[in-house]
Amino acid sequence: MAEGVLSAGINLEAFAQAIAAIQALRSSVTRVFDCLKDGKRNKETLEGREKGFVSSFQESLHSVSRDLGELERLSNLVGKPSENHPLHNSGLLSLDPVQDKTPLYSQLLQAYKWSNKLQYHAGLASGLLNQQSLKRSANQMGMSAKRRPKAQPTTLVLPPQYVDDVISRIDRMFPEMSIHLSRPNGTSAMLMVTLGKVLKVIVVMRSLFIDRTIVKGYHENVYTEEGKLDIWSKSNYQVFQKVTDHATTALLHYQLPQMPDVVVRSFMTWLRSYIKLFQAPCQRCGKFLQDGLPPTWRDFRTLEAFHDTCRQ
Amino acid sequence: MGVTCVSQMPVTEGKSVQQTVEILTRKLELLGAEKQGTFGVDCETYHTAPSTMGNQGQAAKLMYVMHNSEYPLSCFALFENGPCLIADANFDVLMVKLKGFFQNAKGNKIESRGTRYQYCDFLVKIGTVTMGPSARGISVEVEYCPCVIASDCWNLLMEFMQSFMGSHTPGIPSVFSNKHDSIYSPADTMVQYMELFNKIRKQQQVPVAGIR
Ligand SMILES: [Zn+2]
Repeated sequence: MAEGVLSAGINLEAFAQAIAAIQALRSSVTRVFDCLKDGKRNKETLEGREKGFVSSFQESLHSVSRDLGELERLSNLVGKPSENHPLHNSGLLSLDPVQDKTPLYSQLLQAYKWSNKLQYHAGLASGLLNQQSLKRSANQMGMSAKRRPKAQPTTLVLPPQYVDDVISRIDRMFPEMSIHLSRPNGTSAMLMVTLGKVLKVIVVMRSLFIDRTIVKGYHENVYTEEGKLDIWSKSNYQVFQKVTDHATTALLHYQLPQMPDVVVRSFMTWLRSYIKLFQAPCQRCGKFLQDGLPPTWRDFRTLEAFHDTCRQ
Repeated sequence: MGVTCVSQMPVTEGKSVQQTVEILTRKLELLGAEKQGTFGVDCETYHTAPSTMGNQGQAAKLMYVMHNSEYPLSCFALFENGPCLIADANFDVLMVKLKGFFQNAKGNKIESRGTRYQYCDFLVKIGTVTMGPSARGISVEVEYCPCVIASDCWNLLMEFMQSFMGSHTPGIPSVFSNKHDSIYSPADTMVQYMELFNKIRKQQQVPVAGIR
């Protein structure tokens, strides 16, 4: 592929000559300064010294301007390097000559278009749904449709620094909860939340949206063999598999597209109530166990503990 | 490794050890527990050799060398009320070499063997405790695997034990009270087995009828 790119628009011969011209220019510039540094040495008479210095200085300046001219001529032959592509490095995919076999670029464009469209429609839908909302947290019924700012897909491109700030503020809010943020795969953050000595949660973020969460035991391994956070395998224990399911439900419950930081904070507040996972009896039946599991459900509003089958 | 409670189940009056174990395991199976192979814990007693005792008034110290099939690569060496050492399995060979310092109390080997059950996140091991040829009692080990802090899950553990041990549910093990909120370790289980074995050694021998 690399060969194809070069032969397409760039003259290799001119490239080689241009590099040689740069070398020549550098050495002639060096000569000018050598000449200035040596000054008027090694001449019999004062007059002779001055004359010799001026003429050699002139000569070396001439060769500088000659080499510069040559370089300028060659640089026109070389041609312009390709402009920064609007799609950044992914734009380079369009240069792949084996389009038929790997139509990555066109697929990428399609996906981009789709995700833009999806974002736009989701924004509209969220606006409409907020008008009808029964949730206390999303009470924006007073706002008229006209005054509401048009939903922009901006929340997906929040600067990483802002995400860091929101997370570190939440980290400081709860002393028994420690949050470790890392970005192993580019800009998307991953959180390792450790809650007391009870459980660990891996949270996969996209900007400030939580994409996925996995709950594991405090003593369970959360890293893969290569030392990366293992975001795919589930806990070995039924109790944490159940809590993972409930946490996923919570992600769907705590939704407020215009205020993603509030969502993350509410989710973490809810998650923190699992500090008493093994200590809190069910608020309905009063027991610790049901089918061998402790109360794994936490009410979204009151944070009270219930067995999965005891909640309403 | 979760929090574990080891206790003794008394033999039901008029029944043999074997029959009592069967009643217990049937209750577990009715609850929904599934059989998952067997287990074994054994314990050998060593005395400190008289030649190594400096002061005359000093009592001989006992050391217990134990194995647990749950940790097949390890060997546990415990002093009563003392530290617990976790070593590689070939520690036994070392003990033979240390004959001059620690002497094996022959015929004092005690072990518990039986079936391992899983129920949800609980592991239950019902074992027959034998010393030499005679059955001496029944051990019940219950582990709640997801939790590592003993005091966090004691109530939950107790509720589970009540469901199949009824009135024979034990009180809180003494190792729990020293743990506060530090992490429970396999050594804590071995200490409980050591205490159980010591208790059983002192008890009257039950009739030999129906071992294993
Ligand atoms: Zn309940």
